[in-house]
Amino acid sequence: MPLFEVENLTKRFGGLTAVNNVSFHVDEGDIIGLIGPNGAGKTTLFNLITGFLKPDSGTVRFKGEDITRLEPHKIVNKGLARTFQVVKPFRHLPAIANVIVACLSPRASKKLEWLKSPERKALDMLELVGLSEMMFEPAENLAHGDLKRLEMARALATEPDLLLLDEPFSGLNPIETDFLTKSIQRLHLDGYTMVIVEHKLHALMKLVKKVIVLHYGEKIAEGSPKEVSHNKKVIEVYMGRVA
Amino acid sequence: MIENLIVFGALSGAVYALLALGFTLIYGVADVINMAHGAFYMLGAYAFSIFLMNLGYNSITNPSSFLLLTALILATIFVGFVGIIIYRLFVHPLIENPLSVLVVTIGATLILQQMILLWFGDVDMAVPKLLEGYTLLLGLKVAYHSLLSLVLSLGLIAILGIFIARSKIGGAMRAAAQDREVAMLMGINTERLYMLTMAISASLAAIAGILLNPPAASPMLREWTYPLVMSFAIVIIGGLGSIKGSLVGAFIIGYVEQAVRVFFPGMGYLQGAAALTVMVLVLVLRPRGFFGKHVEAE
Amino acid sequence: MIKMVGALLRRIYSSFATNILDVPPRLLAFLLLMVLLFLPVARLDLYILRIVTIALIFAIFAASWDLLVGRAGQVSLGHALFFGIGAYLSAYLSRFHGLPLWATIPLSMLFCALVAVLLGFPCLRVKGPYLTLVTMAFPLILAVGFFALDPPFGGEGGIALTRAQRLFPMEALYPQRVAEYYLILFLLLVSAIILYKIANSKTGIVLVSILDDESASKACGINVTKYKLLAWAISAFFAGLAGCLYAHYIQATPPTTVLGLTTSFYPVIMTILGGIGTIYGPIVGAFILWSLMEFTLWVLTDFFQFIPFIANAGDELRIIVYIGIIIVFIIKWPKGISKFVVEKLDELTEKRELDERKKK
Repeated sequence: MPLFEVENLTKRFGGLTAVNNVSFHVDEGDIIGLIGPNGAGKTTLFNLITGFLKPDSGTVRFKGEDITRLEPHKIVNKGLARTFQVVKPFRHLPAIANVIVACLSPRASKKLEWLKSPERKALDMLELVGLSEMMFEPAENLAHGDLKRLEMARALATEPDLLLLDEPFSGLNPIETDFLTKSIQRLHLDGYTMVIVEHKLHALMKLVKKVIVLHYGEKIAEGSPKEVSHNKKVIEVYMGRVA
Repeated sequence: MIENLIVFGALSGAVYALLALGFTLIYGVADVINMAHGAFYMLGAYAFSIFLMNLGYNSITNPSSFLLLTALILATIFVGFVGIIIYRLFVHPLIENPLSVLVVTIGATLILQQMILLWFGDVDMAVPKLLEGYTLLLGLKVAYHSLLSLVLSLGLIAILGIFIARSKIGGAMRAAAQDREVAMLMGINTERLYMLTMAISASLAAIAGILLNPPAASPMLREWTYPLVMSFAIVIIGGLGSIKGSLVGAFIIGYVEQAVRVFFPGMGYLQGAAALTVMVLVLVLRPRGFFGKHVEAE
Repeated sequence: MIKMVGALLRRIYSSFATNILDVPPRLLAFLLLMVLLFLPVARLDLYILRIVTIALIFAIFAASWDLLVGRAGQVSLGHALFFGIGAYLSAYLSRFHGLPLWATIPLSMLFCALVAVLLGFPCLRVKGPYLTLVTMAFPLILAVGFFALDPPFGGEGGIALTRAQRLFPMEALYPQRVAEYYLILFLLLVSAIILYKIANSKTGIVLVSILDDESASKACGINVTKYKLLAWAISAFFAGLAGCLYAHYIQATPPTTVLGLTTSFYPVIMTILGGIGTIYGPIVGAFILWSLMEFTLWVLTDFFQFIPFIANAGDELRIIVYIGIIIVFIIKWPKGISKFVVEKLDELTEKRELDERKKK
């Protein structure tokens, strides 16, 4: 049984069909890329999966359970976490408090090891992403790259079984990109299942085993990075039609 | 009974639309919840009376419509000017913080109220009608003044609508309403724009105060709370920042107010409560009013 | 034995020194507390005592508002709702059912919390300015209701309370007022400490996360609804306390006051003046507001009497002046006076530390 599957998911906004009959599945331990030109519906798809939007039709199944109509926080507490394309830090709180919030969720509290406090766990998460030096810095003072890592620490703090990353590489310089690539590889080795939306294809293709391509809300290709990058339709969509 | 409701509800609805439009305009363009809006209404009525007195108006010996019109225009300009002063002195320094703006507009209201009390003392002022006399409409006695108010209000709303939709300044308003920072980057002087918007907003409230012709010794005259509360109810029902919404909301509230007068005569104080109750009910069903931006996702 | 006592005293002093002398906000709070504690001892006249007492009541009210708005981000312009419900309910139960105050007040407070949760549910989807404006409606509607239902609720003057329902039914007026003062001061301290602790607890952190970014908070697995309702309930609980105390202090529940728009506005003004989100800010703001009200009266009537305009002006000029001063304060210190003072004190402490380090 796949860890996660999406079946015939559709979402319309007035006359525009943002997500059109999309289906795919994710097995445990997979690391999957979701790509497509701007406006293809990737973030909408994420919002549908994580409960921030309700689909017009279709189902989302996680660990065998139908989570289509669940509220976002309930979905997180089932083990499905996400990061946001545009970082959403808690500006008034210091970095460590940002992560503490996630540690206070029911799921994280339950999975807290014996004698470990939420603060300790938050510090561990910050160390994991390399932000422990900034722990008392108010989030509004952090640089973009650091905020991206904070976002990741928060998502990891909820003890997810499936991690959805929305453009984690956007706005990162080469050093940060390298660090993130290594972090994701490490997470994968630790057993995290991930779906990553990304535009920086060279970074993404190195990481993932399978790629799904969206265009105007429809899935137009699915396969290994090599297969997909040679797919005629995909090339057409990204490069424009060759005369 | 029903004709009473329909006709008079519409009459007051039209003028309420002017009032609400002013409120929603300054919110839409500048993000300001102007608690002094009711005070502008009150100030308009008072200023009108003062100008009339000083122009030698006397309803018996000198019922000149020319005088009335002049006083109307003068009062409107005066209140618009007060609006600009209040914006520049109180609001502009705090424009980045909406909650602080709200608080200082509360302060401005209290100051205006005290100033009026200081000037006039505790005397109830009568606000003269623009036109005397009545006509018969559907078997009801309808004042010429009310009909004139209706025409004036709808006319002003139409002019304002065209101004916002077509003129350059109107375009600037629409831009600032969407995104203040981008508007500034595009070269729009937001400070001047907001001042102008405030002037228009205050003027609209003043005109409403004059047209609605509150009778002497009614709470509507000496208190700023009733017109303020009605403004809120209307713009919330209609949707903050929406002109169409203000129109719809104004007529709804006009009818609600009239319904209370018709079905619960003598219990005038229920009017405000009824309007507020309708507002709450609408919000529960439509958290952003009828025409407010509808956002489904977070 | 003496050595042990000495060691204990030294421990208490060093804890005092590090916890209070070194931390500017706490130092301020401590000084204010000292002033307040010894105020009545200075044999002030009843009038001033009454003013300070009412300021204390509104300080509780403002602090409760700050938790809701400054920490949870739910801007309410209708906090008088809970003030009024507390006032009316406690007055009603004690006057018409003869229940003692130590029962009616907690009951009313709990009822306020309940109302907050019940009203909270339909209002959850209402956000931003809509929430601000809709909260304004509730106390106004209720005021009309109480006003209309005259036989029990006393119309314009509200429920009239007798000596039996006073906070401290004593015979002599002055000692009674002093006793009431200390009781209310004590309750303010307890409320302020509880509210402050909640605001700075883990629950408080979650509330700030909701204030900053509700969606992100949900993405952290937080049940935002639960926490919002909790904030509303706690805030209403203490607002209700303020209302009960007010009713029993002035022995009446005039709807235009206890459920009035002005009363809803007070905590807003006090909090912005004092510093939002701090819990102690609104308390400072309450005192500044109330002191200004009286100070301007005193200055205008005593110092400027020789100017005829002022002599004839009466109350209106005073109100204009003190509101003007408040507006100037808000413009000058947009983050709140207490935050400004704390920042200045922090700067001074840093400078002192830097100087000391330079000497070494």
